[in-house]
Amino acid sequence: MASEFQLNGTQVSVSAAPDTPLLFVLRNELKLTGPRLGCGMAQCGACAVLLDGREIRSCVTPVGAVTGKHVTTVEGLPALWAARHSRDHSVAPKALHPVQQAWIDEQVPQCGYCQSGMMIAAVQLLEKTPDPTVAQIKDAFTNTPPSPHLCRCGTYVAIINAVRRAAAMMKT
Amino acid sequence: MTSMNMLKLTRRGFVGGCGALFVSFAIADQRSSTSPSRLASWLEIRDDNTVVARTGRTETGTGMSGYYIQAIAEELSMRPEAVSLIMGDTDRTPDGGYSAGFIYGMSNVRKVAAYTYQALLGLAAKELMIPIGDLTVLDGVVSGGGRSLTYGQLVRGQHLDLIIPVTGALPGTDPTKWVGMSSLDGYSVAGDPPLKPMSQFKIIGKSFPIPGIPDKVTARTRWSCDVRLPGMLHARMVRPPTVGASLISVDEIDVQRFPTARVVKRGNLVAVVSTDEWEASRAALVVSANAKWSDWSGLPGSDNLTQTLREYPWGDPSSKGSAADVAKAMTGASRILSASYEQPYVRHAPIGPYVAVADVRGRASATVWTHSAQSQGLRARLATILDIPVEHVVVRWLDHSGQYGRTTLGGDGAEADAVILSKLTGRPVRVQWTLQEDLAWSTASPGWVSDIEAALDVNGHLTAVRSTFYSPHMFDPRPVGALLAGAPCITSKPGGFIATEWPYDRISNRFEKAHGMPNLGADSPSGGLRGNILRTPGQRQQNFVLESMINEAAAAMQVDPIQYRLRHTTVPRMIDVLQATAKAAGWQSRPSPRAGARGIGTQPLVGQGVCAITRQNAYWVGIAEITVVPATGAITVTRFTIGVDCGKVINPRQLDRCMKSGVVMGLSEALKEEVTFDTRKVTSTDWSRYKILTMAETPEIEVVQISRDDCGFGGGSEAANAVCPGAVAAAFFDATGVRARRIPLTPAYVTRLLRADS
Repeated sequence: MASEFQLNGTQVSVSAAPDTPLLFVLRNELKLTGPRLGCGMAQCGACAVLLDGREIRSCVTPVGAVTGKHVTTVEGLPALWAARHSRDHSVAPKALHPVQQAWIDEQVPQCGYCQSGMMIAAVQLLEKTPDPTVAQIKDAFTNTPPSPHLCRCGTYVAIINAVRRAAAMMKT
Repeated sequence: MTSMNMLKLTRRGFVGGCGALFVSFAIADQRSSTSPSRLASWLEIRDDNTVVARTGRTETGTGMSGYYIQAIAEELSMRPEAVSLIMGDTDRTPDGGYSAGFIYGMSNVRKVAAYTYQALLGLAAKELMIPIGDLTVLDGVVSGGGRSLTYGQLVRGQHLDLIIPVTGALPGTDPTKWVGMSSLDGYSVAGDPPLKPMSQFKIIGKSFPIPGIPDKVTARTRWSCDVRLPGMLHARMVRPPTVGASLISVDEIDVQRFPTARVVKRGNLVAVVSTDEWEASRAALVVSANAKWSDWSGLPGSDNLTQTLREYPWGDPSSKGSAADVAKAMTGASRILSASYEQPYVRHAPIGPYVAVADVRGRASATVWTHSAQSQGLRARLATILDIPVEHVVVRWLDHSGQYGRTTLGGDGAEADAVILSKLTGRPVRVQWTLQEDLAWSTASPGWVSDIEAALDVNGHLTAVRSTFYSPHMFDPRPVGALLAGAPCITSKPGGFIATEWPYDRISNRFEKAHGMPNLGADSPSGGLRGNILRTPGQRQQNFVLESMINEAAAAMQVDPIQYRLRHTTVPRMIDVLQATAKAAGWQSRPSPRAGARGIGTQPLVGQGVCAITRQNAYWVGIAEITVVPATGAITVTRFTIGVDCGKVINPRQLDRCMKSGVVMGLSEALKEEVTFDTRKVTSTDWSRYKILTMAETPEIEVVQISRDDCGFGGGSEAANAVCPGAVAAAFFDATGVRARRIPLTPAYVTRLLRADS
């Protein structure tokens, strides 16, 4: 029984059983290793992806539940950004999403294990709140259900700076 | 310069179209007179004017991969962008070593590059036919006599070998050592090649980016959890229900339901393997639910930890300082302060649980993909576990979640599970731990209690400090998989570990004792609650006690705690960083507690507190500003200022990041972290029960850096965490007038403290 969905702008069909967590399907069948296994119970955010533009935790989302929907992983962020600017030819299709560029500019990752999920959370936040304050960023990364996005290396300050940098880049 | 004369640059031959200079070493007892070392080279100068450098040390997220490249580029007078680094693979790196030995490794890479630089100058002098002294080098281009050559041109068409002198050895079993292993730092480059003076550095001291970051941001990094091999099985471990259980029986798997899964076991090590990860995961839950284990309840329970440590029949301690001098000073004291401090077990708790892949081919070879911070140490441990020669084991290192000390000694981790399962199945096996498993079965930093006394003279000056530290084993990184399987392990000894360094040279007398005991539940098949080192190990705990006592003494004498510290040290670096950090924080110079401090009410009270530490040629100061609401016990750290003098700053921006992130980890420990366990098992096994700091709880963090050209390199990252608990506890006293002598300062503990006081 195949599940079909849009993955980073491309239609995919997967053979995994519908109850298989999307995370395992992405990593093992579709070879997308950006989302990573953290807690396996939606408590940390390392596996976060966008489903129809909203952040979900792929570790607890059965692949059957995304049938017919749009899944965006960190690998799909450049295409997501390019699609937003499809009529603006100044944006090269392979340019990084401003959030990714800001993550590099601010040198955010230490071990980096949680950072794919952090960037997904940043993209969602900036969609709704294009110019967030520090308080809004802290609130979004901590109080958005189902759980805070956790970083054990302690990169929170760098993340805040990167989100603000990305916001500025996306305005121009 | 004698050592330079011993160096020999040899030409192995001419090769068409390419060429390189290989820098390696020969080991005295293995060296043959005719062939150079078979080991991987430290460094290669390639004919495209790039450099490949190799080190057994690994990147753990703090930027070492970048700093080593800066050091190599500096000594070779090249651009860092021309240098790439291979880390951690035992078959592709020459030297061993671990992340904890950053400074030691820095010395190695600098010397390797410096030796190479001299060899390249020699080549250029011959080629250009002018004396070495007349050459200049910029960005890998040697110039002299009106001509210029790149390093690449100097080696083109040739195969050159430079053999450099080393001392030391790779890690191996050594039962005489506490940790059961010797040579954790690996090989050390010998001799004294001419190094660039710090005052002339052009690359070190600048904020270059860390090379691995773009790949991490764009998902191009290959992580250890990404390794997939042909024929590989996914494994999920079925751990015992209690720390001390023995396996009685385990059911076979229902093949109707799980057609590709099967149970694999050895002793008390039980796993489910399958070609499908989700099937292994689901089947393991069923197997776990039905497995029968012996009953066990041999832990004291975390609520009884302090009492257990107090009642333990401690043996002889380690000690440092003069008991007699301290006793004499205490006798003559005008006042003696005494206090006891404590902390529960805490743990490393990375976001990614342990994972490892192993491919064991009988006794012939074992290849392991790991994120351990001590590849050669892990290699020695796995050879012992498999009972095969260490030369048959290859460890390949890849990025993964941070380790914070837990794999520094080459142990802990999923690698033992993986090699045992691969040996049993004859297939490559990937073992992925779950978070619950990691928070229950990885090693932890043991809880402790400590007593401290301080003698004050008539002027309120500290004349003597005497302390005793009690803790279970802190150096037991045996991997749980090997223990459960009953496999042989490199073992360590429980002992008292004294880790303090002492910046207060005007406190004349000091005597420290540290007692060790076996793990709690040590007699069980799993080894019990295995204690291990965690970021700033031992010193984090013992310095908290020392600094808290200094804060207590300052308060007793009604002196500003920073002024009080300045009265007890003449160490210029400590004085400078204390003053600079206080200034940046806007420190209000006054005694603690503040006027109006109280332990009751629903209004937030504010407080400031300070804590210092010296470690690894670095001086640190942390200043916390907090609010506390007595009625709820809620503490908010509103601002934290952290200052460091770590000698020459290698990369200011990366140091800034590491200091800020270290504060996050330290505040997490100060406010939240506690491993809980009942009499059978660890109970804090998810993020709702093992709480760590969130972004919302992260304060504004100010950073002060002092860089010096005359004090060498120091540890600029690790100890940032260690100044946080002491500073927060001091700020709590400043706000409330009540001493907190236990961390974490959770609302429940704070409320209890304040109620007891009122």
